[in-house]
Amino acid sequence: MDLASVFYLGVTFGLFAILVGIVLRTYSKKRKETGEAPKYKMLDDD
Amino acid sequence: MEKPSYNTDIVRGFVNWSIIWGLVAVLVGVIVSLQMVNPDLNFPPYLTFGRLRPIHTNAGIYGWGVGFIFATFFYMAQRLCKTPIWSPKLAKFQLWFFNATIIASAVTLLMGFTTSKEYHEMEWPIDLMIIVLWVMFAINIIMTIIKRREEQMYISLWYMMAAIIGIAVLFVVNSAAVPAALFKSYSAYAGTNDANVHWWFGHNAVAMALTAPPLAMFYYFLPKSTGVPIYSHRLSIISFWSLIFMYLWTGAHHLLWTPVPDWVQTLAMAFSVMLIAPSWGSVINGYLSMNGQWHQMRDNYLVKFLILGLTFYGLQTLQGPMQSIRTFSAFIHYTDWVPGHIHMGTMGWVSMIGFACIYYLVPRIYGNEIFSIPLANLHFWLILIGQLIWSISMWVAGVLQAGMWNAMNPDGSLTYTFMETMVEMYPYWWARAIGGLIYLIGVLIFIYNLYMTVQKGKKSSSTLTEAEGRA
Amino acid sequence: MWEKKPVLLMVLATCTILAGTIITMILPFTWVNTKADRIEGVVPYTPIEQEGRDIYIREGCNNCHSQTVRPLVAEVLRYGEYSKSGEFVYDRPFLWGSKRTGPDLARVGGKYPDSWHYKHMDSPRSMVPRTNMPDYKWLRDNPLDAEAIQHKMDVLDFPYNNPQIAALQTKNEMDAIVAYMQKLGNDINWRKATQVEIIGELVNPYAGVDHITMEPWESVYRNNCAACHGEHLEGEIGPELVGDNYEEEELFKIIYNGIPDGGMPSFSALGSDKVWQLTNFIKYYNQGEGESH
Repeated sequence: MDLASVFYLGVTFGLFAILVGIVLRTYSKKRKETGEAPKYKMLDDD
Repeated sequence: MEKPSYNTDIVRGFVNWSIIWGLVAVLVGVIVSLQMVNPDLNFPPYLTFGRLRPIHTNAGIYGWGVGFIFATFFYMAQRLCKTPIWSPKLAKFQLWFFNATIIASAVTLLMGFTTSKEYHEMEWPIDLMIIVLWVMFAINIIMTIIKRREEQMYISLWYMMAAIIGIAVLFVVNSAAVPAALFKSYSAYAGTNDANVHWWFGHNAVAMALTAPPLAMFYYFLPKSTGVPIYSHRLSIISFWSLIFMYLWTGAHHLLWTPVPDWVQTLAMAFSVMLIAPSWGSVINGYLSMNGQWHQMRDNYLVKFLILGLTFYGLQTLQGPMQSIRTFSAFIHYTDWVPGHIHMGTMGWVSMIGFACIYYLVPRIYGNEIFSIPLANLHFWLILIGQLIWSISMWVAGVLQAGMWNAMNPDGSLTYTFMETMVEMYPYWWARAIGGLIYLIGVLIFIYNLYMTVQKGKKSSSTLTEAEGRA
Repeated sequence: MWEKKPVLLMVLATCTILAGTIITMILPFTWVNTKADRIEGVVPYTPIEQEGRDIYIREGCNNCHSQTVRPLVAEVLRYGEYSKSGEFVYDRPFLWGSKRTGPDLARVGGKYPDSWHYKHMDSPRSMVPRTNMPDYKWLRDNPLDAEAIQHKMDVLDFPYNNPQIAALQTKNEMDAIVAYMQKLGNDINWRKATQVEIIGELVNPYAGVDHITMEPWESVYRNNCAACHGEHLEGEIGPELVGDNYEEEELFKIIYNGIPDGGMPSFSALGSDKVWQLTNFIKYYNQGEGESH
């Protein structure tokens, strides 16, 4: 494997890590309620 | 909290005008479909297929599509932010400027002033008008969001903001050109570069104008119509980030097998296939929101439009990735299959969502109950059948044509001349024209129903009368 | 965090959409249209060709005609050598198109003589009976604006000379679009390069064929030859074919490879069998010799 391939692989894994990060953050127990709050609020009479 | 007084005048204005431009788009569409089957219907120099087809596409995208984006964004932003529009005056000016831009586009395109770049044919002075228009709109929406009285933002606002930024970036980059006359310019990019920039624009216009905004609408109007929240706000967030990340890599799937660098094509192909995930994230989210509410598909015509629209989005985002695969693209690209695909997205997904939004909005901005639900149902079935005839006839035609183009004899020679393949298309082009005509009748019934709602509709009960609160 | 901060959310969204943009749209500029891409022989458009191109754009020809040949067997057979990046360096905008209601035009230059194009643009159906292409005869009524064209050449920074500009005075839009057609794909000498050299002896597989066998071949002739050589071989754009005295093998070679300098297209894509059918049809059917064998 040449250097470029290693670099591309690194970028791929980096991006994947960001995705995992976003998923973990969004779905953390701490954020369960705040994360889902807007969907109820928007049903309030406007 | 005291109820803010929302501006509904501006929503009315954009609803009305977007419907007019939508009618123009469908009408011109039917005309060009007839020109395809009978060249005697071309009346040079102005009314030829080559000049009318861009009017059809641009009236559809910029007049109808962007028109109801303006209408719904102004409606949603005020309510999701619990604050009136930041500048009603700017919005009012925007409405006039919008119509001036669309009219200027139509007139210049008829005169043959075109850049030839698909879905971006308008020449540089119109490009400048569109940029001004978009900046006005962006400022008004963003300022409304900044001034909001609801701290956490609902997913629709996310999609709205992404669309506002995305369209701005795409449009400005792809407009770059050197003027040679008042209505003639030469692209700032040449040949292969121009192709790659253009389809980066072209495909992401689909993302930022015809995907993100309808998703914003879907996430807002589905729960409003059903009375139950969406299945998962957090899933919508994951879909959001992955969708806006992946889309931008896929433009070159329009350029498979062309001289664009191979690795750009391969990336486009790979990302197109991966795009199934975020697209279906929204589709599944929508379907799961209907849990326990499926009976509303029968009783609630708004839900019918929204869920069928979402279903076409789901089909579109499976068919699209399939077409992005090199081997499949080699077969069907350049045939009538492709318009069949596009029209499932525009006539099915985008317009169905648009119709649903307008059916929801009109009683609320005019204070009248909808004139006739049976007519709304008839409208639904006509556009559904019209669109299915349209798309299915083109898919069959495309496969037939591709098969004939590629057919070879045992000695390695081609079986058919080009004309032998073209004449086989006529029956399918007729079917397509009939599908378009049925769709047009559906749209006319829609307009009649709305007209009667405004003129003769019963005053609606207090829950709907936001119109009273309009500024 | 960003779910409560719209400006931050917009900044993050911008970064997200820029990632793919930079890699797949901006980065390719470092390779495409660079020196490595250049092809010798590819030259800018002349004033009349460029004007023809602008008319092609004005009339929206790109809505029905593509201009890239993909490296696929059936496509190269049908249209010619596949397209290369370096051939498009002077194209502003690109005109590759996305739909082939009509055939691809990337290699149409030099395929037919000018007279073919004039006749076809005047009335496409007079040559291709069931085509849906509109008539463009009216382009003949519009003279060219030499001054405006000169200005456009300056904007594009393409070379031109005074005789070229002066020559525009007597030309019309039809002349310009035909000149553009003849330029397309013709900067590389692919037509001669892809000519097939026929090795060994050619043997007519239909030697001594009778009229009844040849009857169905008339449609092959009508589909491929009649537009130029007439329904009854009487000739029009191409020469009359009755009574020419080419040998069978010679006639076969002309049909198979065409005459690149003479405006006769190659019909090798039909396959040797059909070309032999045409050879026999032209040589014997209408010359009353069919039965004599």
